Amino acid sequence: MGESTVSQVPINKIRRRWKVISHDYILRKFIRSLFIVWAAITATFVLIHMMPSNPIELYVNQLVMQQGITYEEAKDQAATLFSIDLKKPMSLQYIEFLQKVIKGDFGTSVLSPGTPVADIIKEYLPWTVFSIGTGLLISFTLGILLGMLAAYRRDTVVDQLLTLYASIFSAVPNYLVAIIILVLFGVQWGVMPIAKLRGVLSPGVKPALSWVFVKDALFHGSFPIIVIVLTWTASWLLIMRSSTWSTLEEDYVNVARAKGLTDGRIMTAYVGRNATLPLFARFALAIGLIVGGSVLIEQITQYRGVGYTLLQAVNRRDYSLMQGIFLILTFSVIFANFFADLLYGWIDPRIKVGNNK
Amino acid sequence: MTTPANYQDYVATHEQAALRLKDISINYKAKRGIVHAVRNISLHLNAGESLALIGESGSGKSTLALGIVRLLVKSAEISSGKVIYQRDGKTMEVLSLQGDALRRFRWAETAMVFQAALNAFNPVLRIWQQIWDTAKAHGWRDKKAVRKKAMELLDLVQLDAERVIDLYPHELSGGMRQRVLIALALMLDPQVIILDEPTTALDILTQRTIINLLRDLKAARNFTMLFISHNLAIAAELANRIATMYAGTIVEIGPTDEIFYHPRHPYTLGLIRAVPTVTGGFEKLESIPGSPPDLIDLPTGCKFHPRCAFATERCRLEEPVLEKIDEDHYAACWHWRSVNPKL
Repeated sequence: MGESTVSQVPINKIRRRWKVISHDYILRKFIRSLFIVWAAITATFVLIHMMPSNPIELYVNQLVMQQGITYEEAKDQAATLFSIDLKKPMSLQYIEFLQKVIKGDFGTSVLSPGTPVADIIKEYLPWTVFSIGTGLLISFTLGILLGMLAAYRRDTVVDQLLTLYASIFSAVPNYLVAIIILVLFGVQWGVMPIAKLRGVLSPGVKPALSWVFVKDALFHGSFPIIVIVLTWTASWLLIMRSSTWSTLEEDYVNVARAKGLTDGRIMTAYVGRNATLPLFARFALAIGLIVGGSVLIEQITQYRGVGYTLLQAVNRRDYSLMQGIFLILTFSVIFANFFADLLYGWIDPRIKVGNNK
Repeated sequence: MTTPANYQDYVATHEQAALRLKDISINYKAKRGIVHAVRNISLHLNAGESLALIGESGSGKSTLALGIVRLLVKSAEISSGKVIYQRDGKTMEVLSLQGDALRRFRWAETAMVFQAALNAFNPVLRIWQQIWDTAKAHGWRDKKAVRKKAMELLDLVQLDAERVIDLYPHELSGGMRQRVLIALALMLDPQVIILDEPTTALDILTQRTIINLLRDLKAARNFTMLFISHNLAIAAELANRIATMYAGTIVEIGPTDEIFYHPRHPYTLGLIRAVPTVTGGFEKLESIPGSPPDLIDLPTGCKFHPRCAFATERCRLEEPVLEKIDEDHYAACWHWRSVNPKL
């Protein structure tokens, strides 16, 4: 009897804590995201470590065969590359790996020994975020505006033209669009300075807060940005068009008309705002696809971002670099999901954010 | 002064009416053909009066109401008629209003409380924002004054104004939302308020409070009311006059008591008999046989004849027009003399 009352106190306390956590939208989502990050890191560890013919084993064998060093020496080299100490027990290795990843230490590159993977990512990731991110922002804005235009001009020539464009470009993969542009404008008609467009900056231009730098970055980024805008605008347009359609059918839009609101006010605050709600969640999710979506485009446009780097790493079996980029990719998707949840809770009052009394 | 024998003349004599409909017809274009939703309706609403439009689903009541505020869907067309609105000596031809003039007519002159009031509010804007939007659209610039008036009106519809005004729609119950919409309808002091089945989506107790509220508001604010319902009992409580609609046209119109105790159209009689009474029990309850007519392919003659117990050869061939039965009481039936509610 006495024991049970004593042990009930902490249980109630835990329950109350749990209630606070489960009722707090942001906290709940945050904890979930942390859990997924942990799961992703763990999965990576398991993959490179425990699977048969895993990257470490492959690399060790490669070293033994090519350089004729002993198995032990090769293992030491591999350990530094993957930032894992293979001599320690598995559990300790796992904890060390966790600590290092959290600190941003992803080991060193296989192909350029001594260069930390984190540095390589730091060098190339910003360019991808700049080019694909700019493309995403432009396509999102354009897609919303054109989608609304198409919905408001339903079944007119404007709508038909926009829908035709959108159906084609949302169905064709973006790397194909990039290739077609390259072949037609670059090779066939020669209006595109392909050689000058290569890379992220012209030789001699250094990152600085200057107009020359911005202009040059935009010039080199223009090809991937145009490809992204062409293809992603199409998808946003189609989603926005159907979302606007269903919003236009809503009772409150009709009531707003009955109340004598101006067309402009109805279009922005009653139709536009409500129709874009579902798109914002998708937008946040799309942020997570920036890294993943850049791989093929950057290859074709010869834009040296993180996607280009990833493809090179794959081609040359640079496992530690691949591991680092994959982790970044995973983190960005998880972050985007968390951001989407936050954004949705913030723009749609029907989703409770934080503690409501 | 006795009322004219011809119904059109009768409507025409009410020159001062707040709202006068002259021979309104509304069609919908459908794949199968043209839907004759409203056919040649003439009607007047005197200032301060309350008229109930009664009929089954699909009888054209809501279409008529939407036609008056020009909110019909694109596939609908007002093929003929005039809507004349008058207030303080100013006259408007509603059907020829365009652009801003039409926008200003809506809500400020004729407000409409919708059937689906549960979704009448934008879910992502606070109640206050939606009230302010409405006031602003009609030239109000003083936020404080609007808020003060909104609070008074919310108070009037028996809501906790302080709390409700800053809530989001989903934080209110169905009955509360309907009250907010009624309060909002009063915001710009419109002369006419159209209520399109304002209690349909609500539970029975909430219906009762809304009806009581409307009756009190009507007494206090003296607006002109067009009440649309399929519920005769509710209509009788609120209306001075009742008009029965069948197949897109008015088949009987008259003072509430007349319609209730001396209905002269078999359809009105059927509607009254289909309502259970507290004292009558269920044995007297009768439903009208058959179903409402196909509005694309209407029956010949009187549109009600396939369902009517009084129908004769004449009913199959000729459509009756509204005929004077008593003072202010008109019915469109060849056999109105035989229709006796006491039988």
